[in-house]
Amino acid sequence: MNATFPLPFRSALRSSLLAVILFSAAAPCLLRATVDDALSFAYEAALPYYKQGYSIRKDAWGGDLGVHDKKAVSSQLFKGNDYWFLMASDVKAASISVHIYDDKGNLVDADSWQKGRFAGARVSPKATGTYFAIVQILKSPEDRTPWALVYGYK
Amino acid sequence: MLHSEILPGEGIFPGCALKRGMSLFSLLVALTTGPLSLRADTPPKKIALSDFPAAAVQEVVVPVPSEIFAVLDKLGNPNWKAQLRDGKARTPEDRARTALLLGNVIAEGFVAVEAEDAERVKELGRQVLTLAEAINVRKSVIARSKSITDKADQRDWRGVRSEFDGALQDVRGAMDELNDQDLSQLVSLGGWLRGTEVLTSIIGKGFSKDGAELLHQPELVNYFDRCIGSMSARLRRNPLVAEIRDVLRKIGPLVNEGGDNITPEKVKTIHDLTRGVDQRIVNGGN
Repeated sequence: MNATFPLPFRSALRSSLLAVILFSAAAPCLLRATVDDALSFAYEAALPYYKQGYSIRKDAWGGDLGVHDKKAVSSQLFKGNDYWFLMASDVKAASISVHIYDDKGNLVDADSWQKGRFAGARVSPKATGTYFAIVQILKSPEDRTPWALVYGYK
Repeated sequence: MLHSEILPGEGIFPGCALKRGMSLFSLLVALTTGPLSLRADTPPKKIALSDFPAAAVQEVVVPVPSEIFAVLDKLGNPNWKAQLRDGKARTPEDRARTALLLGNVIAEGFVAVEAEDAERVKELGRQVLTLAEAINVRKSVIARSKSITDKADQRDWRGVRSEFDGALQDVRGAMDELNDQDLSQLVSLGGWLRGTEVLTSIIGKGFSKDGAELLHQPELVNYFDRCIGSMSARLRRNPLVAEIRDVLRKIGPLVNEGGDNITPEKVKTIHDLTRGVDQRIVNGGN
């Protein structure tokens, strides 16, 4: 795949097949690696909040999305706690967002920010119940952009 | 700042990277474009959740016990010692019950932390290890168990809480790696049942709307019900698991109508239901 000069046909076919097989075998690992990278950036985004006394959950949510695609992560949140949701991607040129909605679809962000491949939203639930973190890829040079989401509470 | 990018919440000016030597021009640019870049994304005030197909909705995030205990801390100072369970549960032969008991014991650890009972905390830390061994995930909690003991000796209660949270997540992670997702869900469920039993006991003793509202968890209850529904037929037929599903289906309607509608009578019903099933988890039998 990386050859920059012509190869005899059979050799090229053999090389291509080998490359496809190798890529197929490695693809899940590559995807996993990028989601893991996204996660490491999400934890980076969470670090300032950890320093402010938020407990950051070790669990994380993530995957990959196309540009403008959205995903809802439903969460049980408790009135009395304050939450920060932090999202990140490992695609440097990507732009992403996260916002929090209640179970009736109302935006409930108390605060939010968006900075390239990092985004955050804070919520202080007015009622205990189910909330939805809506994550979105706003722009990206990639067809599929890995993302990860973590949250902290205090 | 692990990746050399200054992020909001960090540094002296959220969202803007102010570095030494920055020129007046770049400072002006940063001051004018920085806030704009933070507002670049303007979310709709209202969305139709029904527009999200099932595939675009990730299953509900199960809260860790300390999220609930963090709220309880703010609601007053209940008699936590009175909530502590006596004795030590025997390790069951049944793996499903063992997983439920493991979650239950971890939740009990939080109660012992609230009661600031160091000896009980250490004993529960050891029980976590024993139960984890019975379902082949001992390795994942050895360090946690030791940390629980060390931090209980130092009376570092926030640290102990964090270790119990970590133990729950490590155990679940290890089970997921072993493709034991069903048992992993039972650990969460066992923790939730004991947490709910204690929560309803505390709320019942000093009823307040704010306290009762903590029980407004309809999606979580439905989620646990769906989890059991998707377990193997063998697990679904397990009498204890079947009984828990029945309990969840009784609790569902009680917590479904908004936090304001959770009355003292409903709190008592939920308490009786969870207490009954928790006793079965600890002692076995029907």
